[in-house]
Amino acid sequence: MKFDDLDVESEIENTWCPGCGNFGLLNSVKQAVKKLEDEGIGRDIMLISAGIGCHGKIFDYLNIGGLYSIHGRESATIQGMKFANPELKVMAFGGDGDAYGEGLSHLIFAAKRNADITMIVHNNGNYALTTGQKSPTSVQGFKGPSSPEGSVNEPINPLRVLLSSDAGFVARGYPGKMQHLTDLIVEAVKHEGFSLVDVLQPCVTFNDTYEKYNELVEVLEKPAETRKEAVELAEEEERLPIGILYKEEMPVYNEKVYPEGNPVEDRMDREERLEAVKKILDEKR
Amino acid sequence: MKDKDVFTYLIGGKAGEGVKKAGAAATSLFLDLGREAFQMDDYQSLIRGGHNFSVVSTSTREIYSHHMEVDLIVNLDERSRDIHEGHLAEDGLMFYNSDDSGEKDDGIGLPLGDMAKEYSKPDLIKGVAGVAVLAACNGMDQKDLKELIEKEYSRGVEENLSFGVEVYEEVDKKIDKTFELEEGKSESTVLTGNESLSLGAAAGGLDMYIGYPMTPASSILHLFAGHKDKLQVLPIHPENEIGVANMAVGATVPGARVMVGTSGGGLALMEETVSLAGMTEAPVLFVLASRPGPSTGVPTYTEQADLNFALNQGHGEFPLIVASPGSVKEAFFLSNEMLELVWKYQTPGIFLTEKHLSESAKTLDIDLDSLDDDPLETKMAAEDEEYKRYEKTEDGISPLKFPPAEDLIQWNSYEHDEMGYTTENAETVEEMHDKRREKNETLILELKEMNTVNEFNEGDTVIFTFGSTTMSVREALKFADVDAKIVQPVYLNPFPVWELEEYMGEDAVVVEQNSTGQLATLLREKCRIKPKTVIRKYDGRAFEPRELAAKIEEAIK
Ligand SMILES: Cc1ncc(C[n+]2csc(CCOP(=O)(O)OP(=O)(O)O)c2C)c(N)n1
Ligand code: SF4
Repeated sequence: MKFDDLDVESEIENTWCPGCGNFGLLNSVKQAVKKLEDEGIGRDIMLISAGIGCHGKIFDYLNIGGLYSIHGRESATIQGMKFANPELKVMAFGGDGDAYGEGLSHLIFAAKRNADITMIVHNNGNYALTTGQKSPTSVQGFKGPSSPEGSVNEPINPLRVLLSSDAGFVARGYPGKMQHLTDLIVEAVKHEGFSLVDVLQPCVTFNDTYEKYNELVEVLEKPAETRKEAVELAEEEERLPIGILYKEEMPVYNEKVYPEGNPVEDRMDREERLEAVKKILDEKR
Repeated sequence: MKDKDVFTYLIGGKAGEGVKKAGAAATSLFLDLGREAFQMDDYQSLIRGGHNFSVVSTSTREIYSHHMEVDLIVNLDERSRDIHEGHLAEDGLMFYNSDDSGEKDDGIGLPLGDMAKEYSKPDLIKGVAGVAVLAACNGMDQKDLKELIEKEYSRGVEENLSFGVEVYEEVDKKIDKTFELEEGKSESTVLTGNESLSLGAAAGGLDMYIGYPMTPASSILHLFAGHKDKLQVLPIHPENEIGVANMAVGATVPGARVMVGTSGGGLALMEETVSLAGMTEAPVLFVLASRPGPSTGVPTYTEQADLNFALNQGHGEFPLIVASPGSVKEAFFLSNEMLELVWKYQTPGIFLTEKHLSESAKTLDIDLDSLDDDPLETKMAAEDEEYKRYEKTEDGISPLKFPPAEDLIQWNSYEHDEMGYTTENAETVEEMHDKRREKNETLILELKEMNTVNEFNEGDTVIFTFGSTTMSVREALKFADVDAKIVQPVYLNPFPVWELEEYMGEDAVVVEQNSTGQLATLLREKCRIKPKTVIRKYDGRAFEPRELAAKIEEAIK
């Protein structure tokens, strides 16, 4: 089906719990995609991926092409798409269990190599789809079916982890501030290089954080000047700053590794290929 | 001393003494003589010290394996002398490093330690002695030796030349016979199995190679990294094998032809993604270059214990293509063919090989003109038709379309409908299973038209083997007094029962390098072939042709 006949939001039945923070997130993505389309970044050159969890269902709810990946691997999947054709704009959706636990290594190295991808994490502080177990970002004492006596770990701070992995764009958003989140997503996609949008996503069923977030969330005026200051912002607990915490332009992976090339668009034809192989064979004589 | 069918040269020493390089130079020397050669490098999983050797067997006919009955041995240290003394053929010559071993009754001592001391890299340069000994013993003059050193040792050539000539003169004084190898008519190239399979894939239009280092697959990554501009295959070395496999699946969405490579441990990490490729119908070619397991096992040696592992990759049911080359040359054409097959059938493929083929080098001639100039077609969607990624078709193959596109193209790891939306609907779940199974049936029809089983020699008894062991069996039969035919299934999944049925009930012999007889079990299960004898080897070393010949004779007589 053609995008012209398809709204950004699909007609697939939405099965998120009423009141789930994912609805606001979906709405922001929808608005962001429309904005991007208006700016010439159409769905024809856009691909998405998603992990497995409540968050992943966004893949079905969006009419954007791509590959619905497996748990924790969407950040690797999406890099494959980008590296194969750097002209595409790519976005991956993950959960906190998925992106910060199961697949954290891919995320850290995507930031390290500055792959030009946007990672949106539905951070709801639990493994929702598997019935609310503790996750890497669950607060200490979090009670779930795998931690009935309360989680003993301090949560990881994903923003700090990614900042210290040299991520060039680190942002936090909140679906309760939908317009703000929309703008963040647009900025993240347009940023050339790795971008992370960590979304404070209340899960009404297993971890209802609306009240807390409504009280603590505060829109940042502007990003921190230095990475160090950004880390300080990320570590604040008295208030939760949202917005772009840090932004830095850096050379992106594909331009560092193959500045001119595009593996799927600039191919050698069969004859050139065989000639290249023949040359190497001749060197082995 | 002329007209020996096979002449074998061996150089042994510590890691870091240039042993492998000397083996390659010897191979090059044989190639210059128009001879055929097979080079096997035996090395340990360490960087300095230990014991390494490189053994090169050469003949004027095609030669399929190295031998361990050695005509000329160069030992760079005492340990090498201890290990290889017993490998010396009758009438063979053995040289040793008298600075390390002291003067001995057997063999010819050379004060290599003292001589090398004068040079800037006294360890590394020792390997050049191996080349000089070979040249002197083969009756080459100094000019030819210099040319060879210049060609093979471009780095630090001045010192290498000076040391080489010094050793040559010393040897010349001490020997009273030369081998004088007959010249052959071959105009070959030398390739390792990994080089061969990589170039075959490149010739087939590979766009990307993604890998994480693991012996014996690492050199594939090195090749693509080293020839990035020439071959225009993008090499990527990510954080781990899970990243490798998932990037590869992602890369197929915009249409990149991608191959990944690893050994058993790495494929185990990738396995969830093999299944993902099956479900999403992502054409990824996985190279499994096997080594002795389980676990870390014996990393730099050879074994065929991953046959079952390859055949059973991935949870759930989906078409999986598994094939294994029986020669370095076949590796070239097979990777090329498998790349086409995985694309035509939009499903993962496993190119199974072992260290013995991956890393051994052989003279061979690759005729690029013999590549089919009409490759299997990838089914592409018509421009203006309504697009469905998983459209049901008669042959089970859905047309592909790549972005940028005006159409919604959704690939999905969940069970999905034709559009690629997730589904749990019973009917659709069943239909999609049927679709993938139909694809497998179409694949079988295709394979029936292809060469899926190789046969060599003629004879009443049938010897089944596969992968790198095919090379050992072919060489062994040159020395066995038996009439036997070798049957090597190249494709292992779908298993070519249609080709093998004729052997049902026969008293077959099976030769394989594992301890449980996995190929024998497969033949029994799939074709009701009851092997009379299963000749197995599982010490990490490839079969020695004459030893294998004796075992085959014993099994058949
Ligand atoms: C390899 C693997 N392990 C476990 C699972 C089961 N699983 C599905 S979703 C999930 C956790 C989901 O948590 P999160 O990623 O935070 O997403 P959420 O549901 O909270 O949005 C798990 C463990 C799986 N699908 N794959
Ligand atoms: S379980 Fe939580 S995250 Fe999942 S849909 Fe319900 S509210 Fe949202």
